[in-house]
Amino acid sequence: MMVHPSRMWTCHWARRCVHRYLDADGSLPLTDREIRRLEAHLAICARCARTAEDYRRLRRALAEWSQRRAPDPAMVERMHATVRALVAGDAG
Amino acid sequence: MSSSGGHDERRRAGMKSATAAGSHDVHRAPSRERAEPSAAFARYVEQEIEMLLRVARTLTGSWPDAEDLVQDTLVRAYRGISGFDGAHPRAWLLTILRNTNVNSRRRRRPDLLDGDGELDRHRPAFGATVAPSPEQTVTDRVLGDELQGAVDALDDRFRVVLLLIDVDDLTCREVADVLGIPVGTVLSRLSRARERIRVHMRTNPRAGRS
Repeated sequence: MMVHPSRMWTCHWARRCVHRYLDADGSLPLTDREIRRLEAHLAICARCARTAEDYRRLRRALAEWSQRRAPDPAMVERMHATVRALVAGDAG
Repeated sequence: MSSSGGHDERRRAGMKSATAAGSHDVHRAPSRERAEPSAAFARYVEQEIEMLLRVARTLTGSWPDAEDLVQDTLVRAYRGISGFDGAHPRAWLLTILRNTNVNSRRRRRPDLLDGDGELDRHRPAFGATVAPSPEQTVTDRVLGDELQGAVDALDDRFRVVLLLIDVDDLTCREVADVLGIPVGTVLSRLSRARERIRVHMRTNPRAGRS
């Protein structure tokens, strides 16, 4: 099936933007116009929509890793103790 | 999870030097000026300790090394608090963490070549020095070996960016701070890492189900 060049360009653009869209990264926000354009494209392009869904699944799966990679509470407490020792040393 | 005796020793040594650094400052500054930076330091740092440990774990590949790195970072941050303007404390801490990590690796690199004994003691990246808990074992099984394998198979540059963003929950700018690379490079590495995993998930549909 032939895909119109302008559609291919939009797919390329969408693939570049989709990470910032899914992450809702406050440090690199998409503009409202970019969001509307991307959502409109995902609504009509099955391939890009499937890719976006794959990325969503990946993000969800990796977010689960965050729990098993949490630091040991005893280690966190040791770091808090370090902060207290530094501050106490300063207060003398 | 606890670290080895060697790390405990180094930690105690670090605490001692941290206190000594603080005492040194006490003699330099009048008491009211002293109290304010200390209070500010505690305020900026306390809420970021867990984040620092997570990021350090991703950078070093082991919890004992992460603890050492964060310990050194806290001491350096404390020493530099008077020069910090209070804007973006997380970015400030991540930059210190990065510099501390770079210096630490620079110091360690020649040691790795000092004979077979040192090589034997070297921990592999992501190598668990402590047995996983039963809960962690179950979680690992649920997440699927395929996804773990796909992440492990990524080149270091891509894997670290992916883990910092998707697991440690940093923003792209924060990752740029901690790795000392442009934001555009972070985005590019993230995109490539996710795409490689996505292709893997497509060919191994069980991966990523959780």
